[in-house]
Amino acid sequence: MRNMSQTFLAASLSGVLALSSLFTWAATVPAGIQLHAEQTLTRNNGSEPETLDPSLIESVGAANLTRDLFEGLTSIDAQGKIVPGVAEKWRQVDPLTWTFQLRPQAKWQNGDPVTAQDFVYSFRRLVDPKTGSKYARTFGDFFLNGKEVSTGQKPPQDLGVRAIDKTTLEVKTAHPVKFLPELVSNPNLSPLHAVSIEKLGREWTKPGNLMGNGAYALKSWQVNSKIVLEKSPGYWDADQVKITRVTYLPVEDGHVDVKLFESGQNDWVYMLPPGSYDSYLKKYPKDTRNTPLLALRFYSIQTQSPFFKDVRVRQALSMVLDRDILAQKVTADGQLPAYGLIVKGVEGADRVDYEWANWPMAKKVETAKALMAQAGVKPGAKFTFSYNTSEYHKKMAIFAASEWKTKLGLAVELEAMEFKVLIKKRHDGQFEMARDGWNADYNDATTFVALVKCDSDQNHSRHCNKDAEQLIQKGLKESDQAKRKAALNEAIRLIMNDYPIIPLLQYSLPRLVKSYVGGYSTDNQMDRFRTQDLYIVKH
Amino acid sequence: MLAYTFRRLLITIPTLLVVIGVVYILLFSAPGGPFDSERVVPEAIQAQLMSKYHLDQPYWKQYLLYIWQLLQGDLGVSYRYADWSVNELVGSALPVSLAIGGLAIALSLVIGVLLGALAALYRNSFVDYFVMALGSLGSVVPSFVLGPLLVLAFAIGLQWLPSGGWDHFSWKFMVLPVSLLTLINVSTLARIMRASMVEVMNSNYIRTARAKGLPMHLIVFRHALRPSLLPVVTIVGPLAVSSITSALVTESIFSIPGLGILVVNGAANRDYTLVLGLVVLITTMVVLVNLCVDLMYAFLDPRSRA
Repeated sequence: MRNMSQTFLAASLSGVLALSSLFTWAATVPAGIQLHAEQTLTRNNGSEPETLDPSLIESVGAANLTRDLFEGLTSIDAQGKIVPGVAEKWRQVDPLTWTFQLRPQAKWQNGDPVTAQDFVYSFRRLVDPKTGSKYARTFGDFFLNGKEVSTGQKPPQDLGVRAIDKTTLEVKTAHPVKFLPELVSNPNLSPLHAVSIEKLGREWTKPGNLMGNGAYALKSWQVNSKIVLEKSPGYWDADQVKITRVTYLPVEDGHVDVKLFESGQNDWVYMLPPGSYDSYLKKYPKDTRNTPLLALRFYSIQTQSPFFKDVRVRQALSMVLDRDILAQKVTADGQLPAYGLIVKGVEGADRVDYEWANWPMAKKVETAKALMAQAGVKPGAKFTFSYNTSEYHKKMAIFAASEWKTKLGLAVELEAMEFKVLIKKRHDGQFEMARDGWNADYNDATTFVALVKCDSDQNHSRHCNKDAEQLIQKGLKESDQAKRKAALNEAIRLIMNDYPIIPLLQYSLPRLVKSYVGGYSTDNQMDRFRTQDLYIVKH
Repeated sequence: MLAYTFRRLLITIPTLLVVIGVVYILLFSAPGGPFDSERVVPEAIQAQLMSKYHLDQPYWKQYLLYIWQLLQGDLGVSYRYADWSVNELVGSALPVSLAIGGLAIALSLVIGVLLGALAALYRNSFVDYFVMALGSLGSVVPSFVLGPLLVLAFAIGLQWLPSGGWDHFSWKFMVLPVSLLTLINVSTLARIMRASMVEVMNSNYIRTARAKGLPMHLIVFRHALRPSLLPVVTIVGPLAVSSITSALVTESIFSIPGLGILVVNGAANRDYTLVLGLVVLITTMVVLVNLCVDLMYAFLDPRSRA
């Protein structure tokens, strides 16, 4: 769908992007497939959701649940493609203005129609600092006045979103946002039933209270045990929804998760335990799935710390780390080596590897040694590497430390800590090198650029390349997609040549999904599966 | 006895105040706060969150505010589980933990005392070796090994029972976790019972009873059993509290929504109110269990009644 809108927008900004509502978008069962009599699914969600309030959710697990309970303007289908949600069509009126036409059949569970005002209420509530959403700025910054509203400088009413009439929503953006149709598929931007929220307060997300407009309704919720959703009969596309009941489990331990799968109590292992991918691939070849995610594993370097002030030191450390061994032998779960900021599948910028990425290791080591000598760092020099306690991160850290010791003679002190402590250290810049990682919030290069751009709260390296910053600002204002991409590409090249981070691997998600769960696809690189797109094949 | 019980119950109040104070200091001195996440929260929002939960107040004021809430039976709202109050969370987890931990401790008490007594009475026989082997096994093999073995055998191999989960106190989901906790507790209790019984059986008054020609069953039940139980009673109190409140390994192996997982998630997420609420619960339980133990002492050992 994105390609379609891209071509179209290039042709005419004022044209109409009509996505016919004659089509249905829920589970499409291929011809010849026989469905199982009982259409129920149990999927492990990896952790207990922090909340089911779309404005306040921040974890992947909570997003999965709210994606079933609420439907936004658009949605992402099992293949990772944008499909219409409550909005049946949309158009970009000018570079900064979009209108979304809502389908009149869209209803809340109590039968109330879903209106443009419900979206206005939700968008304002998300960005309003009084709500306390951690995603207020992530999404708010895209909307006109979003930044000012989220920082309390303007009232929520000034946010660039308004209801033209009951079924027409107008969204004004702060700068051209080509991927807005994808952005609004995020559950944080689901519509909200204002009356329920205002009346019930904090109780509104409880079973019996939660008023959603999605394909499923909240049936029961036992904390740390399970959340059960049932098909919502009033959903506008209910005829196409095959699975009638879905149970979400909050199991965090991968081994326990697999045991539940093996004993038949779970159809969907959230993520295989570290180091077990190969053995499960042999044991359950039909059920083992592995999707490369739009996510990057990297190490952040505090570029203002004395040890890492010199860019040559940072480059040397990045060069000698053998990503192939890291991917194939150390983590061994199908992740791809990464030599740049942008990973495979990301739109809006090209994936560019360092020029030395394919050099033989001997040449890399030789160059790195020369760089270290020029920087005046002698073998035996010492720095501290911080990571949060986990077998996985420890294995990777020990490997990296041994690479730097054997190839460059550096002494690395490994420091393990709780996740909360690491987060604080990274934000405060109280580290020399730290384990880091990022999962794209939306499919555009800017979600990764935020990790390395000036004045970004996610820039743990505290590195700022002024020339790159100018290019980024220029790119963001650009409505010509080719020019925007060129500006971002050049900015990323400039920043990455300053080596503020060491890119390591592109995350993948190795998991088990029973072969009878139809509709599952490894093309879904953001791992966003609506239960309504799935079905149970006869088994 | 009543006055003593009442006095002991009164002591709970200062104990709780001190424990809450200490936990407060520990929690606030731990680096990282409840709202720290991968993403830096803008100042306006951070300030909003802090004021919503009164975290912007001076520590002493927060402490007093908490105590005031506590007096009204309100344990506050959770930060980690934002849709639930601590009362609701504890209210749904406590019955689960009480069922699993309580059943396990009752079973282990019966089985442990029986096996320990048998081992002591048939010292250096096959029975003794068997009980001691079982005791050693339970002590040296950790629960995170024993648990998955039980799952492999009964859930995946034989497919008799579910490998984990919870469904409204259905017995099927309770068998394996209760068995695991019982196995571990039995090993401790049986060893202690055996040692204690051996000592009692060698004491002078038992020798006298034997010399008088009393039959063995009378000696055991009338004279030996009660004094032998004293060390068992001492250990069973803390064992019960830990089986109920901190059976984290068992809970995570069998994916049970009990108190242990709340304690761990509360601490890891700096969920101050959840941790405090659980501390209040656990402290109260410890004080009450200790009181019960002391009262049991008076019943079992006439000397302590004086």
